[in-house]
Amino acid sequence: MQRMAVVAQLVERWLVVPDAAGSSPVGRPQNSHAEVSASSTSVPDVDEATSRESLVAPDVPWVTIVWNDPVNLMSYVSHVFRGYFGFSREESERLMMLVHTEGRAVVATGPREEMERHTEAMHEFGLWATVAKADD
Amino acid sequence: MRVSRSHDAIVLEFAEGEAGVLRSLIDQYLEVVSADAGSDPALPRLFPLAYSDDQDAADEFAQYTRTGLVDRKASNAAQVSLALDEETVRLTLAETERWLPLLTDLRLVIADRIGILVDSDAIPETPAGEVYEWLGRLQGSMIDLLEEP
Repeated sequence: MQRMAVVAQLVERWLVVPDAAGSSPVGRPQNSHAEVSASSTSVPDVDEATSRESLVAPDVPWVTIVWNDPVNLMSYVSHVFRGYFGFSREESERLMMLVHTEGRAVVATGPREEMERHTEAMHEFGLWATVAKADD
Repeated sequence: MRVSRSHDAIVLEFAEGEAGVLRSLIDQYLEVVSADAGSDPALPRLFPLAYSDDQDAADEFAQYTRTGLVDRKASNAAQVSLALDEETVRLTLAETERWLPLLTDLRLVIADRIGILVDSDAIPETPAGEVYEWLGRLQGSMIDLLEEP
């Protein structure tokens, strides 16, 4: 990787598109530095999500779907399934292969708010996940 | 770059310049991740629509989750950057886990810049393509070592 030193000069600021760089001071959360030490264990705030779901029948099943994307390593997808959902190595591999070969896999079934929580977690891991009704 | 495991630590030995490249990428990522929605074409990859066929539900999901996700992604990235002062970085297994989503997000942003949209898209032989592959090798090595029994 000798070339990385050369690359260091070449990559300067190419990741930021001009428009995004210009607008970032406005969009940046004010507390993004203050929360550095507490962030990794913080729990998503689902109070509002819970209250807005209270009118929906609780027994209607929903699913969390993870979709194939061209970026994530197969080993990473499997690692996330194992670490986050607590699946066995075999089950994590099976679901990852479904994502890879079928383009998608249902990774969880249950109440809508719980499926949204899983989806938010998948987005935090950088995976492409969606929520849907179980029969869709 | 060399990645190894010694008991309960993952040791990263960066070649000259590599840690600096990673720091620079993270600085830029911090700008991208906290940019206004719609201002950067990579943002839909970092924050996908949560409902593929219901825009209202997807908007509502984003409204309730976006700020928290931005905060957590940004603070995680800032934490990783703090570890990059040395060319040899020693991480606990828990710290290593926190590098993985950031490395994925960096690759998601670069994938947008170099036009990787589907599995069959070739990685261009450019500096950006090389960094994309390097990040993938780093992440893959870390995962292999974490998955060791």
